[in-house]
Amino acid sequence: MTEPGTGAASPLAGGAPEQRRPAAWGRWLAHFLVAPSGVLLFLAVWTILAIELPPSRLVSPYAVAVDLWNNFLRSPRLEVFGLGRTGYGALLLYTTRNVLVGLVVGSAVGIVVGIASARLRPLRLIVDPIVLVLGTVPVLVAAPLFLLWFGVVPFTQVLLVGGYSAVMMVIFAQRAAANVDPVYEKSAMARGASWRDRLFLVLIPGTLPEILGGLRITLASAWGLETFAEILGAPSGIGQAIKTLTNVNNVAGMLACVSLVALTAIIMDMLLVALARWVTRWA
Amino acid sequence: MLMVETQSAVSIDRLSVVFERDDGTRVQALRDVSLDIGEGEFVCVLGRSGHGKTTLLNVVAGLIPSYSGDVRVLGKPVKAPGVDRGVIFQKDAVFPWMRVEDNVAFGLRVSGMPKPERLRVAREHLDLVGLRNVPRAWPRELSGGMRARVAVAGVFASDPPILLADEPFGALDYVTRRQLQDVLLSLWERTGKTIMFVTHDVDEALRLATRVIVVSNGSVVEDQAVDLPMPRSDDALATPRGLELRHLLLHHIGLE
Repeated sequence: MTEPGTGAASPLAGGAPEQRRPAAWGRWLAHFLVAPSGVLLFLAVWTILAIELPPSRLVSPYAVAVDLWNNFLRSPRLEVFGLGRTGYGALLLYTTRNVLVGLVVGSAVGIVVGIASARLRPLRLIVDPIVLVLGTVPVLVAAPLFLLWFGVVPFTQVLLVGGYSAVMMVIFAQRAAANVDPVYEKSAMARGASWRDRLFLVLIPGTLPEILGGLRITLASAWGLETFAEILGAPSGIGQAIKTLTNVNNVAGMLACVSLVALTAIIMDMLLVALARWVTRWA
Repeated sequence: MLMVETQSAVSIDRLSVVFERDDGTRVQALRDVSLDIGEGEFVCVLGRSGHGKTTLLNVVAGLIPSYSGDVRVLGKPVKAPGVDRGVIFQKDAVFPWMRVEDNVAFGLRVSGMPKPERLRVAREHLDLVGLRNVPRAWPRELSGGMRARVAVAGVFASDPPILLADEPFGALDYVTRRQLQDVLLSLWERTGKTIMFVTHDVDEALRLATRVIVVSNGSVVEDQAVDLPMPRSDDALATPRGLELRHLLLHHIGLE
């Protein structure tokens, strides 16, 4: 593959002999052996603490798993407390839907506004003060206000998650656009690219690594925000289950719901990481 | 040596450029520069860093729209970048998010050429610069020299009549630079394009150019035809005429 006289500082340019690396299967095996050790350590500490503490404070991971299994599809005790014929699974679905809708809509708005304001100075003069205010005022402060304005409906939580995602992604997208080397846009212009070509073929691909990194952070925050908004007041959702079960001191149920949210958030983060790796495989 | 046409590819009349710094002070980057570059010429713009040679090239490229004077390319006033001028930048401008062949075909893509045709043209030009084996590679997999070849291939693939190069090989090691100079010369001889090539390297200018323009403190202080036969080996540059030209250019950039 080495081209004559093309330098030697790259994998395709030859150069120093390749260092010996473990085979791919070896690396995967090491990964699967090492990665769960953190989880096992966490469960071990949890179990020890559960033995030491009274059940009204903490129950074992096993008890939480049993509660999760028994209440996932249908939870009679949640019916008693007015959450209807439901289970943890259906409540999680409500929460996940709100997180995704809020994140997608809010991030889309944030990314467009962020990139546009990074290139259009008048827009930036308008956007920056708004982002400054919304970014520095704790978003949870706005949650009760949204409840007053819009009531106990799903839209209230979606708006909170969407608004927060938009503000976060404006900041990430602005920074990403500022970090794209101007030489790429100059090069595109010099080769006849229109503004649309520069946007779609240069600016958006060039900003993707930073934007996807920002999206991960925003997604993680969105879970916490949605759950907390549901605890404050919502017609459904895993946050409502956590609130209800905490009020009746059902530690196993409460931890089962928290674990369910954490597990779903981790899976979604892993999916986002996989997507980001594929989209930015050139980096 | 190639025949040099007399029609102007680039015509510059009393060009001045003033930049304003953030603190409000003004810097005169170019002062009353006038010159004509004929079609098919290979002109090196030589000078020390910060003396205005890149500014001159950027004005011709259309990347500095605010200037006084008259600048024309193929008879048309320069107001913005255009497909009649290809630019090879000093910094690595190969898009990291596009495969090598897509980088080379970028200009053809934005001009609307269908994909199969533009990829064929891109592969032909990769072959011309010695990179026929890496069309599907990502730029991060290439060395600096290979990326410079991609940049050269990309500009020639778009087939502009005028090529502007801003110290494109300045960051490369000596051997790679010499190889890329040969690649550029062979493409120039093959296509007969007009080339304006900015460099601070006297030997590079003497090896490549049919004419050298020396810019100092924003003004043209020397406009010298290089009447040495091509291709110019080290021996050719060590002839009395070659050494005479070298001394002259070194004198004008303030070294002798």
